[in-house]
Amino acid sequence: MASSQHVLLSPAELAYLHASLSLTPPIRPDGRTPIQFRPLSAETGILPGTNGSARICFADGTEAIVGVKADVERTAQRPGEETVFLEGGAGDDEDDQEGETKEGVDKRKGDASWVEMTVEIPGLRDDDSGTAFLAAMLSEALLADGEFVKRLWINRRFHWKLYLDIILISPPLSYPLPLLSLTTHLALLSTRLPRLKSEGDEDPFFDDDWAAAPYLFPRPAHTTTTTTTTTTRPPITLLVMAVGNNIIFDPSKEELAVADVALAVSVAGSTAETGKGEAEEAGRRLRLLSVRTIDPPSRLTPPGIANAANTAYGASNGAVGTQKMLEARTAEAEAVEGVWRAPRGGAKRMVLGALVQKVLERGGVVDEVLDALEGVELG
Amino acid sequence: MASLKRTLGSDPLASSISSKVYVRSTKSGKVQKIVREVYLRQDIPCSSRLCQSCLETAPRDAVGRPTPFVLSEAPAGTSVFPQGHYLVPDTNAFLTAMDLFEQSAAFYDVIVLQIVLEELRNRSLPLYNRLLGLTKSEDKRFYVFFNEFRLETHVARQEGESVNDRNDRAVRKAVAWYGLHLTRTGAKKVPAVVMLSNDRDNLRKAKQEDIHACSLAEYVKQLKDGDKLLDMIPETQDQETIKEKRPGAPLYPEYFTMSKMMTGVKNGLLHQGTFNVSPYNYLEGSIRVPAFPKPLLILGRENINRAIDGDLVVVEVLPKDQWKEPSTQVIEEDAITKDENPDAEGTGDLVSEKERKALQEEVKRSHSKTTEGHAQPTAKVVGVVKRNWRQYVGHIDQSSVSQSAQQGRKQDTVFVMPMDRKIPKIRLRTRQVAELVGKRILVTIDAWDRSSRHPTGHFVRSLGELETKAAETEALLLEYDVQYRPFPKTVLDCLPKEGHDWKVPESVEDPGWKDREDLRGLLICSIDPIGCQDIDDALHSRPLPNGNIEVGVHIADVSHFVRPNNAMDTEASIRGTTVYMVDKRIDMLPMLLGTDLCSLKPYVERYAFSVLWELSPDADVVNVRFTKSVIKSREAFSYEQAQLRVDDHSQEDDLTKSIRTLLALSKKLKQKRLDAGALSLSSPEVRVQMESETSDPIDVKTKELLDTMSLVEEFMLLANVSVARKIHEAFPQTAILRRHGAPPKTNFDELANQLRVKRGLEVSVESSRALADSLDTCVDPKEPFFNTLVRIMATRCMMAAEYFCSGTQAYPEFRHYGLASEIYTHFTSPIRRYADLVAHRQLAAAIGYEAVHPTVRSRGRLEAVCKNINVRHRNAQLAGRASIAYYVGQALRGKATEEDGFVLKIFSNGFVVLVPRFGIEGLIRLRDLAEPEPAAEYDAETYTLTTSGSRDLAVELFQKVRVRVTDQKDETTGKRGVKMELVRVY
Repeated sequence: MASSQHVLLSPAELAYLHASLSLTPPIRPDGRTPIQFRPLSAETGILPGTNGSARICFADGTEAIVGVKADVERTAQRPGEETVFLEGGAGDDEDDQEGETKEGVDKRKGDASWVEMTVEIPGLRDDDSGTAFLAAMLSEALLADGEFVKRLWINRRFHWKLYLDIILISPPLSYPLPLLSLTTHLALLSTRLPRLKSEGDEDPFFDDDWAAAPYLFPRPAHTTTTTTTTTTRPPITLLVMAVGNNIIFDPSKEELAVADVALAVSVAGSTAETGKGEAEEAGRRLRLLSVRTIDPPSRLTPPGIANAANTAYGASNGAVGTQKMLEARTAEAEAVEGVWRAPRGGAKRMVLGALVQKVLERGGVVDEVLDALEGVELG
Repeated sequence: MASLKRTLGSDPLASSISSKVYVRSTKSGKVQKIVREVYLRQDIPCSSRLCQSCLETAPRDAVGRPTPFVLSEAPAGTSVFPQGHYLVPDTNAFLTAMDLFEQSAAFYDVIVLQIVLEELRNRSLPLYNRLLGLTKSEDKRFYVFFNEFRLETHVARQEGESVNDRNDRAVRKAVAWYGLHLTRTGAKKVPAVVMLSNDRDNLRKAKQEDIHACSLAEYVKQLKDGDKLLDMIPETQDQETIKEKRPGAPLYPEYFTMSKMMTGVKNGLLHQGTFNVSPYNYLEGSIRVPAFPKPLLILGRENINRAIDGDLVVVEVLPKDQWKEPSTQVIEEDAITKDENPDAEGTGDLVSEKERKALQEEVKRSHSKTTEGHAQPTAKVVGVVKRNWRQYVGHIDQSSVSQSAQQGRKQDTVFVMPMDRKIPKIRLRTRQVAELVGKRILVTIDAWDRSSRHPTGHFVRSLGELETKAAETEALLLEYDVQYRPFPKTVLDCLPKEGHDWKVPESVEDPGWKDREDLRGLLICSIDPIGCQDIDDALHSRPLPNGNIEVGVHIADVSHFVRPNNAMDTEASIRGTTVYMVDKRIDMLPMLLGTDLCSLKPYVERYAFSVLWELSPDADVVNVRFTKSVIKSREAFSYEQAQLRVDDHSQEDDLTKSIRTLLALSKKLKQKRLDAGALSLSSPEVRVQMESETSDPIDVKTKELLDTMSLVEEFMLLANVSVARKIHEAFPQTAILRRHGAPPKTNFDELANQLRVKRGLEVSVESSRALADSLDTCVDPKEPFFNTLVRIMATRCMMAAEYFCSGTQAYPEFRHYGLASEIYTHFTSPIRRYADLVAHRQLAAAIGYEAVHPTVRSRGRLEAVCKNINVRHRNAQLAGRASIAYYVGQALRGKATEEDGFVLKIFSNGFVVLVPRFGIEGLIRLRDLAEPEPAAEYDAETYTLTTSGSRDLAVELFQKVRVRVTDQKDETTGKRGVKMELVRVY
């Protein structure tokens, strides 16, 4: 999908919007600050039959639901891997259940094929390039560092296979990437997997009590132990754009239409807790997982024509000849104040650097978003 | 950024919707989260007859009547609740003391909560079924209250609450609701609602919430005859008390976890199968697993690891250096563990000194072997998948009773010796030792801890004095799981209203005559054993104008009276077969049908199902047809009478002539069968003669074989084969048939080897024909019985014949090995076998007499029926034999006779002798031969036991010996059996 449907704004409107967003501080059409998100409402556990689910509504009326289903699958054994023995399994593999948090070597392995993601956008075929690109971006963020799939490891012979069904249930009024990403994040936060009862490499055997099922991303323990525990969170992918030197988060459809650069930035946060509750906020480490440039719709907008070149404003007619043509070309190449000109060329490196830095800023937007999502009641 | 959580508070109906969430793991390894919505309602009645308000709202049936309420308006009281009370037991109460609830002395008006019932089903299916039985019985007044669906009693699980705590809370809430609800009825005497639980925590919480609650023991003490019932409560299994009591190390290895076992079985590292104990050696078990052709041996207490005969266990094969030969010794539990003290549990080693000694002998013997490779793979039990514990009949081991216990009513621990030798002795705590000593008692096993050498159990009830006829017969019926309770009313309601006055309608227009052939004119007679009342079959023959002969077999038309799927049919399908004991018959169908309306009695008209053949004079079947008919039997002969009549040449009437024709034909049929390779096998059969008045056994006779028996048999076989063909043709997938598998060659290894070594005879088992021929050559000119002996032993190597549903096997597998018939079924005894009844229904449908009833063509149901009747059939045989054995013992009581016998089996410390005259086997141990026990050398290669010292003998297999037979009470099993003493060796 093109990042959004055709924008129905005239070149003059575009120019006006661009100009106001380029101000310091920028003035956004809806009066938000550059780093402010649109209000959204979120809930989890809306699909009782799934392992985890979430729904998020943006104030512009876009709405998405995500369901996560998990299934036990046998891990394909590669030849040459150690054979499974009954006796060996019971003792030394015990610490593998939480191998990540405990010291020692993490024996868990993961594979990208353990996660299957489908994205559905109303009105679009599921093999539409836009949809496929969205799914690729979302799963890329999940799979980027290989840590997520390790959570799906049960033992050397079995793993969970996760099916993420991401559905946009409203028409795509704005580029749905952040919405889908946040909803997926929330659904994964609420995802629980049945509690494993068997040990080692046995055929897995689970507790039939759903209430005992642990979360895929365990909640931070409110204990006063002095040991350092890290709680990682699923990644989120944010849409950030730049207009001139201004960096604007969560652009609306109209804002995106005048973006010089648009980036999809995937970030994952992990909190190192050192026992003191307050440290949680300060302790969150953000990790950049991936950055993708998005082709902003602004590139496809028709350019405005400067009054000087506009025949309606007295510019001489086409019969004038090559002299005029040359002039028109320079007019196109040079910015004329108040005349809309679609952005050309790639993003400037400095802008990209600033964008990424802004995203990873401590106590910045990402922190705010993650905290807000964390605050959503699960269940 | 705002977060929103929709609340259900705004929904007015929210309170009546709830849900239940759990994880389901399927066999194929799928793990699913399951959410069930629960719709709460308020019209579920309390079912107390005191309550009017529930009666008004209770759901009604199609006629507009509510189901009658169950709980009595004036329930019984106890010392604490004189106003009367209803009981609400929790799951554990049922799990530990189901026997108590089945008592007729107390435990009436019980409210079974749905949550309890569901939990019980998950924990133990047999107990669940017993509880269901109780809820169906009218006089016990058990009511299942669906507390989970009633708005007021539904309990939502709280945060952090365990499932058990939640269920306990649900029970308490239901009790509280019932209490409140009953006070609102305004009755004069409001019964107390009492929770029964053994869980201390639950009891404590109940006290806090001001609910009536008792532990089982407390409650039973409030009852009038409480002391007696107290024994039926198993020891409280509080975790803490056990830890206090037994600090010692556990005696047995721990079981594997279920998932570990299943992984092992799937990967072929462990094996699953049913554990069987050798009847001669309680320390030797065997298990047949699909992976190996021969069973694996399990030797010694530690390897058996608390498995009990019949349990479904998982075993691990032991390393090769621990492989052993099967024991050639007789090891009896009583002899070796005689002086154990039931109170001093777990103090000594697991394997007692004596047991160890017995094993040492084994090892010595196997090491002295020159030939290697005889050792069989052994295994050890690593876990139990499913316990198959039932109730066991036994008696208290006198020697385990302490002197003080004989008088007081103090609780004492004793050993119970089960009647079945394969079951280990059971530790029992009881207050009634003095009363129970010398009685046949019924006990159940509760548990077998790692730290306890013997399983612990509790007393269920007493059957009566040892060796009284009633007690012993009931004991046999219980041991073989024979349903001997009288038919319930629902079954009797299915009988024809006319009772004994029922007659075949006179008018041929009557619907009963529809499609029935009138065969009243034929000269039909029946031939049965003396005193037979349930006459299944009758025969006739008459010459046809073309020189052929028409032969008819007429079978009682039971399917006319027993309609599919009514209560009587269900009961019959559960019973499966009539069980014949020496002095008693446990009927499959009510007496009225079995001995009157269905029975093809002489001189009266009866409905029948007839098979009519046209046979050539050489007994080839020219034509066969099947029809429902009405017959009138001319005479009911006994085998002897019929034989006399045939042999008496002065008798020249038509009936006698027709029997002679039948006899001639039957001989030809038999010859054909034998030519096809039918086996004539043998088992020692005897008949106990009873004194007519007291029905005390006075003598034992071996059954005589008469030609007329063979006559009936041949035509019944012919009828069965013809019917089998017909129903298989009509219902290729669902016909009920009977097959007899070819025995695996390994079964005959031992016998073939014995015959080769001892007599130089070869047994060939390639086909039934080859086997029949080779059995014919097994003769000893000096000893006519030798051939029978070999046949008896060959019979024991055979597979058991079984009923099956034709869709479950390929056609070649239908074969009946023993009868050498391609296809076979049972059709001729519908009064006493359920399979025949099903075959009747299928045949009736096959000839278009009636529509096919769904039950006779549902494969799943037929398979279940087959499975059940196969088990019942086997049990009935065993019960019958055990009954004969008991009466033989009684007949010999106080008499001593000398008889000839044959050595059937030989051990290194004894041998088994078969006495054909009584059809009994007895074990003669070395120590029985002389005092002191003679030294003996056993040569397993030549099956010879040579004794020296106090008595010099050489006993060989198959040898004829003279034994003195006396009666003796077996101290282990409490059975009176025969004791044999060797007089001399021929």
